[in-house]
Amino acid sequence: MVTKSSPRDLEKEIFDLEDRLQNAKTRLALSSGQEPGGDSYLPPPPYQETDSLLSSHALFLLSDSALPLGSFAYSSGLESYLAHNKPLPPKVTPVASFQRFLKLSITSMASTSIPYVLAAYRHPEDLETLDNDMDASTPCVVAQRASIAQGRALLGVWERAFRGTYASGPFLAGVAAARAVKTVEAFSDALKSCSDAADDLGPKGHFAPIWGIVCLIMGMDARQTAYVFMLNHAKAVLSAAVRASVMGPYQAQAILASKDLQDIIIERIDREWNTPVEDAGQVVPPLDLWVGRHELLYSRIFNS
Amino acid sequence: MQITSSIMPIKSPFEASIAKPGQGNVVLSLLPPSNPTLTTLTYKYPLKLLTRTPGYVPQSSALSCPVSRPVHLYLLTYGGGLLPGDHIEVTIKLEQYTRMVVTTPQGTTKIYKTEPSKSIKGRRAPGRVLSDKSRQTLDVRIEKGAALCYLPDPAVPYKDSRYEQVQTFTVDSTTKAPQRSSLCMLDWVTEGRKSRGENWDFHLWKGKNEIYSVDESGKKKLLLRDSLILDEELDEGSLEDEHETLNRTGVIRERTRPHGIVGTLILYGPVFERLADFIMDRFTSQPRIGARNWSSSAPAAVEAPPNFDSKVHFTAARVRAGFVLVKFGADDFQTAKDWLGNILREEGTVVNEFGEEALCCL
Repeated sequence: MVTKSSPRDLEKEIFDLEDRLQNAKTRLALSSGQEPGGDSYLPPPPYQETDSLLSSHALFLLSDSALPLGSFAYSSGLESYLAHNKPLPPKVTPVASFQRFLKLSITSMASTSIPYVLAAYRHPEDLETLDNDMDASTPCVVAQRASIAQGRALLGVWERAFRGTYASGPFLAGVAAARAVKTVEAFSDALKSCSDAADDLGPKGHFAPIWGIVCLIMGMDARQTAYVFMLNHAKAVLSAAVRASVMGPYQAQAILASKDLQDIIIERIDREWNTPVEDAGQVVPPLDLWVGRHELLYSRIFNS
Repeated sequence: MQITSSIMPIKSPFEASIAKPGQGNVVLSLLPPSNPTLTTLTYKYPLKLLTRTPGYVPQSSALSCPVSRPVHLYLLTYGGGLLPGDHIEVTIKLEQYTRMVVTTPQGTTKIYKTEPSKSIKGRRAPGRVLSDKSRQTLDVRIEKGAALCYLPDPAVPYKDSRYEQVQTFTVDSTTKAPQRSSLCMLDWVTEGRKSRGENWDFHLWKGKNEIYSVDESGKKKLLLRDSLILDEELDEGSLEDEHETLNRTGVIRERTRPHGIVGTLILYGPVFERLADFIMDRFTSQPRIGARNWSSSAPAAVEAPPNFDSKVHFTAARVRAGFVLVKFGADDFQTAKDWLGNILREEGTVVNEFGEEALCCL
């Protein structure tokens, strides 16, 4: 038998084992003649659950579509894709064409950004280098603008909203998170003092690395961090599709809820789980063209 | 290798550095008064490097300082391509104020098919069946005032081939604008041999272009990274079974549609400044997509005359640190070649500064 050791499998195994332990304890209590609870009240949740509730709280905050990052101003190339593929071949429905785009977009987002999200999560002290390398790897100004705007917005939300609660600890992620708070602070100061000139190679504030480090500080685990990043991207693309009249809101929710979408996000995260940032790259070359040519659209409702 | 060492009675002090097959090393220096000279030129099978100084002297240049004659370097491999397991490793150093043109006179770089090696297959080493990737690295150091023009033919990866290339360029960051290093490089890959019906049928093509700057203390900073990964994403676990045939996933085809060739052109430095502006103008002045004539009296929309720009999807962007990054996709090699050749000839910088031969692949 092959022993699988991906973090997901291990988490599942731990969950299974805990479940069996709980089950065995209940049976022991029953067989030794004691009433399991004595009354109908549930026992207080064990300490670990409180812990995971705390990290769930951060998860709910960061996955909330009301998180003011301005993500919905960007279609990540969808608007340009639609314009470039007009008119559609007779047998292709708009929704099928959109499904193709969504899949390509998720795949590309994972291969270009997940390594940076995870690197910032695992090595928060490298934030400035990661930000520089991400900037160097983003091939067009349209994508650069979108990433920087959302990264700076997240930094703003951190400073004005989350810092009060999360900067002082206790940190679920321990010492690493405490150090990460200092890194974010220093990075933010450097960002404010640097000019916006195009030739300036100072910090830029790209979204992926800042997402990784903020999630670390707020106690999310690495998998959640990557998953919510991808899911938020899918949400933004689907929301853009609704506003671009590709489909209705219920259909969009159906796609968002679908097993297909869950599977592809998990598959892409697994694939990029150990990719070093040096090997991050574009896997969908036409996407760079669609995003870059967004500026050539005659009429635009999105910023990218 | 053994034959060489038996003929040579005295061991060259440089031999150790070129002992590995496929390695090449070139240093171009400018000897006084203005005489470009290759102070180092070594290579080992299957790589072959040829050079030529065609005697073309740039009459006018974007640089104010005296301009040296460009030296041509031809990158050759036996068989005009790379066999599975071939590793080509070329290191080039352009010393101050030198100029080099690098081309591939054998036509497209063929990436031959990777056959699963029988011996490895027998041992059933997991994940090793697909090994024998061919690999090419190019590492160029461009010093102050030096210029490189690297316009090769595209790579043509054959069905089932696996290939990886890493091209690293290091420019001098200590000098200011007019003395900066200059670089023009092209990297393009096709769907394979279209005449044989190949349509993105290879297993892996990875191309990474990186440009670093280095300061006095030797500290490197990444200025630009352009990385393309076309991976069929085969399940290597399933290859352990000898009898199982490879199921084509078709993901590369799906991810490159509708293009038959994709590529990147990177421009940097004072020599290519005018060309960079020209391409930026060309991009921003393209007709708007989805534009309509709203005036009621106008006749029905007139079809624009077909030109190169309408057949090639391209984008150009001034990304950062003065780089202009051009990305393009087209139906086939010929279309892309005509389009790019047309732009470079019309603008004229490459021919002016490096001579007509710099465009031999276009």
